Amino acid sequence: MDLLSLSTLLPEITLTLAALLLLMVGVFMGDRVTNAVTQFAVLALLLVAAALGATMWGVEADFHLTGPQGFVDVSLFTSLIKLMVLITAAGALLLATGYLRREEIYKPEYAVLVLLAVTGMCLMLSASNFLMLYMGLEMQSLCLYVLAAFRRDATRATEAGLKYFVLGALASGLLLYGISLVYGFTGSLSFAEVATALSQDSSRGALVGFGFILVALLFKVSVAPFHMWVPDVYEGAPTPVTAFFSVVPKIAAFGLLMKVCYGPFAPLQDKWLWLLPVLAAITMLWGAIAAIGQTNLKRLLAYSSIGHVGFALMGLAANDPRSVIVYLAFYAVMSLGVFAVLLLMHRDERMLETIDDLAGLSRVHPGLAAAMAILMFSMAGIPPLVGFFTKLYVFVAAVQADLIWLAVIGAVASVVGAYYYLNVIKVMYFDEPVAKYDRFTDGNLTGTVTAMAVLSVAGLLLIAPVVMLAQYAVHLLKP
Amino acid sequence: MDSSVLLNLGMQLGWLILLVLMIVVPLLITVAYVTYAERKVLALVQLRMGPNLVGPFGLLQPFADGLKLIAKETIIPTGANRALFVAAPILLFFLSLVSWAVIPFDVGLVLADINVGVLYLFALSSLGVYGIIIAGWASNSKYSFLGSLRSAAQMVSYEVSIGLVIITVLLLAGSMNLSTIIIGQAGGITGWYIWPLLPMFFIFFISGLAETNRCPFDLPEGESELVGGFNTEYSSMTFALFFLGEYANMILMSAMTAVLFLGGWHSPIPGDDVIPGLVWFAAKIAFCLFVFIWVRATMPRFRYDQLMRLGWKIFLPFSLLYVVGVAAYVTFFRGAL
Amino acid sequence: METFLAYLNEAPGTVLPGLMFYVLAIVLLYAGVMVITARNPVHSVLFLILAFFNAAGLFLLLGAEFIAMLLVIVYVGAVAVLFLFVVMMLDIDFEQLRKGFVRNLPLGLLAGVVLAAQGIMFAISWSFAEGAKEGKGPTVLSSATNTEQIGQVLYTHYMLPFQVAGLVLLVAMIGAIVLTHRGNTGVKRQKVAAQNSRRPADVLKLNSVNPGEGV
Repeated sequence: MDLLSLSTLLPEITLTLAALLLLMVGVFMGDRVTNAVTQFAVLALLLVAAALGATMWGVEADFHLTGPQGFVDVSLFTSLIKLMVLITAAGALLLATGYLRREEIYKPEYAVLVLLAVTGMCLMLSASNFLMLYMGLEMQSLCLYVLAAFRRDATRATEAGLKYFVLGALASGLLLYGISLVYGFTGSLSFAEVATALSQDSSRGALVGFGFILVALLFKVSVAPFHMWVPDVYEGAPTPVTAFFSVVPKIAAFGLLMKVCYGPFAPLQDKWLWLLPVLAAITMLWGAIAAIGQTNLKRLLAYSSIGHVGFALMGLAANDPRSVIVYLAFYAVMSLGVFAVLLLMHRDERMLETIDDLAGLSRVHPGLAAAMAILMFSMAGIPPLVGFFTKLYVFVAAVQADLIWLAVIGAVASVVGAYYYLNVIKVMYFDEPVAKYDRFTDGNLTGTVTAMAVLSVAGLLLIAPVVMLAQYAVHLLKP
Repeated sequence: MDSSVLLNLGMQLGWLILLVLMIVVPLLITVAYVTYAERKVLALVQLRMGPNLVGPFGLLQPFADGLKLIAKETIIPTGANRALFVAAPILLFFLSLVSWAVIPFDVGLVLADINVGVLYLFALSSLGVYGIIIAGWASNSKYSFLGSLRSAAQMVSYEVSIGLVIITVLLLAGSMNLSTIIIGQAGGITGWYIWPLLPMFFIFFISGLAETNRCPFDLPEGESELVGGFNTEYSSMTFALFFLGEYANMILMSAMTAVLFLGGWHSPIPGDDVIPGLVWFAAKIAFCLFVFIWVRATMPRFRYDQLMRLGWKIFLPFSLLYVVGVAAYVTFFRGAL
Repeated sequence: METFLAYLNEAPGTVLPGLMFYVLAIVLLYAGVMVITARNPVHSVLFLILAFFNAAGLFLLLGAEFIAMLLVIVYVGAVAVLFLFVVMMLDIDFEQLRKGFVRNLPLGLLAGVVLAAQGIMFAISWSFAEGAKEGKGPTVLSSATNTEQIGQVLYTHYMLPFQVAGLVLLVAMIGAIVLTHRGNTGVKRQKVAAQNSRRPADVLKLNSVNPGEGV
């Protein structure tokens, strides 16, 4: 095994070593080093991200490197998605500290699990072999199940973890079944060889196998009708974990979906290009309509995230992976911001989770309310905020791909969705306040809220560079 | 189907049954005399006489006990799960017999010389726990159930270190075939694996005591607190099967010790071929059995937390380290790299 | 004596392996059905164990003795014991379970029938890609036993997935500990080292007491 091929795994190796080190420190020093462990984990994530970003600098667009025994294959695309995963994971980890301390579940294992989950995501993104894909996917899923149930004394968190686990195990089963069918047809698990075999000849068995794999990946991305787990898990899991779930695994799973669709299953493009628009339409509509009746903010955000996944999927359905990356990048900004606001709402030793708890926020905490309003407007896609432009970008992609009907459904869904986003703003600004929140002094949270709100406004300026980056990244993916 | 096919099938099955009987019948007689030996040795340790009335020196005592048990009525408690209640002792007894299929008694003297003999033994020894668990559950009795839960936890715990110990032997022998492992220990007493793996030998033997629920790890029976543990409700033939199975397991554990560490059929003196290998093998088994009984006569019973601590916190890390050490030795000094 | 057996096994018209296959396969299917239809969950687990056993037997017939033994050791010897352990201690209301079973039966049957139909459909029209039947995995020495063959590729070609599998197991371990371990305080623990290092001279004092004077 030569060093060059091993270097493809450097981010994963670094993260694993960091996680193992922190685990040891946590085990032997106990809960009193939690803070140091968490900060070190954030630092590790950011350092790996910085190093990864540096390697992307000035690299040719068609750069790619194959890892040991051809199990992994990195390119600008995988690096970009990993970069997004690493940065958002660091952000989500920063958000968690205050909450975990208040709930008395501030343990070093939290940061370790986040690190290992991110390692799993990076591994599955690097994978160029179904065996490796499965291992990476399973590694990240296992971490996520545990994180969902991290507040183990709360019934709802345990229930969320269990539900996520049972349904996730089912999805893993489907994935394995699909992989076995594809293997039965091609006799190989390598992406390249599967693609070659499928381009020469495609049997019904391999097609069914692809179907199973697609369903499993769509489950991870939470596309309707494979989204049933999302609201329950989001509601039950501890709020910082929900923030993590709504962003990090989604980006990773989307990256994997794109890699698989444009990699081994590129020869079946006409099949999935026919299926994905339908699923995107269902997802957008379901995310918008089902959210209307929700009173719990976390459930509302769960449906909102389903809707956003629908929009991102529209980009893929329009055969334009660029737009997916751009959409997800800014969705991550808004989502992290909103969850930071949610984490700041705290009264009488209790987290506030319903929409009614927001009543009169503008009079009690005008700054927070303004930030929340900006984020909500952006999520609803109101110009001139960044959410509008990313949506527009996806719509344009759809129209260019002659999917005008899909763009129309998308527009309808965003109008319906705007109702509940605006409802939140209405409650904040026009309803009578109930009582004051506890004073909050969490610098991480206020910092995140401010930064994300500013980014939602100023994102306009960032869109062009992000699009350029995405353009470079997908160069190899979709020649 | 023509007659030659049936004839062939009949011959195969008949030959197999004959071979099996050739192992099982001597084994059962040995079991009978191990119980006798146990009583005699315990008696000697405690300055008593032991059984001495039935036959010369009490030698017919085991048969008298067996006949008594057969003549008794099998009692199945109310609320017991009848099928499982009866199946459990049969299962335990059956498992203790089938393991013998792969034990090589002498050069080539083995029923099934399979490539993965060690794994086969390990797999079957890990199944022994079922007989006990099922017995405890099916009896519908608190004592039985507690005993069976204890034994399940205990056997699963000690299996882990047994597995690791076996790995060290495999690393040295380079094979999982029991005959090959024994052949690897040729050249007299110095060639036996007990010397390079001395700590592992002790761990294996102690874990073997736990695995067979023998003193000082006989908590599953724990007569002072659990009446009789998992076999509280058993009587007559069902009890006899448990009894036979446990002693057969004990002999099996001794045989495994002899095969893995004491050079199997090899004589301790290099180049000695006067005494047949079978005799040496039997002598080594007899020695291990004696140690089993000796331990019972001298050691008090462990407390449950001590038992778990020994298994998980001492044996497991130590044997894990030793595996790494032996692997490193094999890689760097034997040139397996 | 094996030679005689080998002779019988290779004699023309031997049916023992074939017979074994059918016995194992039929028992496997029966056990599989019983796992989901048995009334008592403990029986279900026991049937599951029976199913594992017969699957191991089928592996043996294929000549994959290593996998067969691992199946028995890992699934039967370790996993199923814990299953049985848990199921025996659960207080399950069988009637409640049956109710849901009957209510969802039509839906389950429908899904089953659809899946079976699909399975049959693509089993009939199954085709292989070029060179698929030969397999495209790493080459191994065909003369070695299959344990050696697995060893030859597991730590070389499949090193990376193997290591990641280790990480996955580590995550599972961390998860189990995080979710269940409670550092219970107020428990008196035995300090074995302290007990062993205690010497009579440190704790015992021999007084010679004269009669009638007291201590």
